[in-house]
Amino acid sequence: MPDAAIQVESLAKSFPPARSGWRTFFQPFEKPTAVALDGVSFQVREGEALALLGANGAGKSTLLRILATLLVPTRGCASVAGHDTVHQSREVRRSLGYHAGTDHGFYARLTARENLFFFGQLNQLSHADASQRIAQLAEQFRLGEALGRQVRTLSSGTVQRLSLARALLHQPGVLLLDEPTRSLDALAAAEFRRFLKAEILRRGNTSLLFASHTLPEVEQLADRVAVIDAGRLLACDTVAKLKHSNGAETLEEVFLRLTGRRNQIAPEDSPPS
Amino acid sequence: MIRILRDIWLFFWRDLSIARTYRTVFLFEAIEALFGAALFYYVARFVDTPELQRSLPQGGSYFAFSLVGFVFLDYLNVALDSFDRSLEEARDSGTLEHLLVTQTSLPVFVAGSAIYPFVATTLRIAVYVAWGAALFHFPLGSANWLTVLVVLVISLLAFAGLGILSASYLLIFKRGNPAKWFFLGISSVAGGMLFPVSILPDWLQWVARLNPVTYALESMRAALLGGENVSAIWRPLLILLLFAVVLLPLSMSTFAWSLRRTKITGTLTHS
Repeated sequence: MPDAAIQVESLAKSFPPARSGWRTFFQPFEKPTAVALDGVSFQVREGEALALLGANGAGKSTLLRILATLLVPTRGCASVAGHDTVHQSREVRRSLGYHAGTDHGFYARLTARENLFFFGQLNQLSHADASQRIAQLAEQFRLGEALGRQVRTLSSGTVQRLSLARALLHQPGVLLLDEPTRSLDALAAAEFRRFLKAEILRRGNTSLLFASHTLPEVEQLADRVAVIDAGRLLACDTVAKLKHSNGAETLEEVFLRLTGRRNQIAPEDSPPS
Repeated sequence: MIRILRDIWLFFWRDLSIARTYRTVFLFEAIEALFGAALFYYVARFVDTPELQRSLPQGGSYFAFSLVGFVFLDYLNVALDSFDRSLEEARDSGTLEHLLVTQTSLPVFVAGSAIYPFVATTLRIAVYVAWGAALFHFPLGSANWLTVLVVLVISLLAFAGLGILSASYLLIFKRGNPAKWFFLGISSVAGGMLFPVSILPDWLQWVARLNPVTYALESMRAALLGGENVSAIWRPLLILLLFAVVLLPLSMSTFAWSLRRTKITGTLTHS
């Protein structure tokens, strides 16, 4: 793997405007005008954890989906493990573990174990390796009891943990996680962060790019933080340097200052300065 | 090659495992097949005459002719339906994105999605024919099974191209299956399903000659009812093969283009 596990250069993405009625028929062929990303550049080094911090609609998920080869950028380019996400998408997917924040994408009538087997083997794990990895991850994610149950009977937190286990199943070199602790209770979220830090990031051969709204999580996991707003990258640095360069005491304050949202918050809601 | 077959097997195993959780469906489909076979038997008893039997390509009863036409059209139906239904289910359940970030290639993903529906349809057709043979004197004894197998495989390849084109339409426009409406509509009239193409007016016979179903049915009846070997029906088989050779690469390219288009417009997961 090259030094930069993820390289993003002048990346821009626009979507065609949403249409209703008979105009939807032509929507796929319309000119993209709704800007989601606008000239974003950064890199994630091998073994580094980079957090994407931004408000809803800032472009974090779009960026992750481009890197996961699920979207084609309008301009610019991105590479994962040295492979271009558009022209070498298969090679990119070989190095990638992806967890989408909103839907978990499992076969509801298959058991958790059957789902993990299916996706693990599609990622070229042998039957024996898949069994071994499932057993390991089930222990780490406390999924043991859930493995034999149909996914439709599992709680949303358990499905979230299952989704994270799927992303890690084939031991990818690059992990893309979109709001990884979104549906987890406080205990499960803390356990997941501990696992990620101790078992995945500590080894130094897995790079992590994750989007999160949970500031303590960002501070705990990320080596650096990229602040994104309205599709533009406002800053990308360590938490300490971001605080220093913005004269802020907390990451929340950094975010509010960089995005200019400080004035939009009522006095009783504003963070202590 | 082993990897491709293993991945296709995985898709089949997935769909079989899901189907097994709806066990009663198998039973009800077997009962439905019995009623279906009975329906064609009694319609045939009502309309069968020596003149009608003489006008059929292989002679014999109208029951055998119409049952083959009806069940074989099921193949066209599943070919036109299975690709886009599988795609629609994956999209709506949220599994589509997760499938597309695995290391599976696009052709394997497409072929894998349809393999179970084709196998299930083959079994359903076998049940229809078995009921027909067991209770209504369907002439199974004259079938040439090797030729039946060859006709099935070539027909599926030709029909699959139509199904993949239909799935491409679904990717872009999200709803509707114009290929299904068009081909099932055309085939029910100008495909030789319930009556020979020869009784149609000239212009409809011309339409029938452009329809792969016509050649598939002609070949299947010759193999199943007439006991013909492959060399005796080489002409319709060759035409079917030509349909497959043209339609499969065309449909795969169209599907790849449509998928890329949805990645550009960001509508992959939209319904």
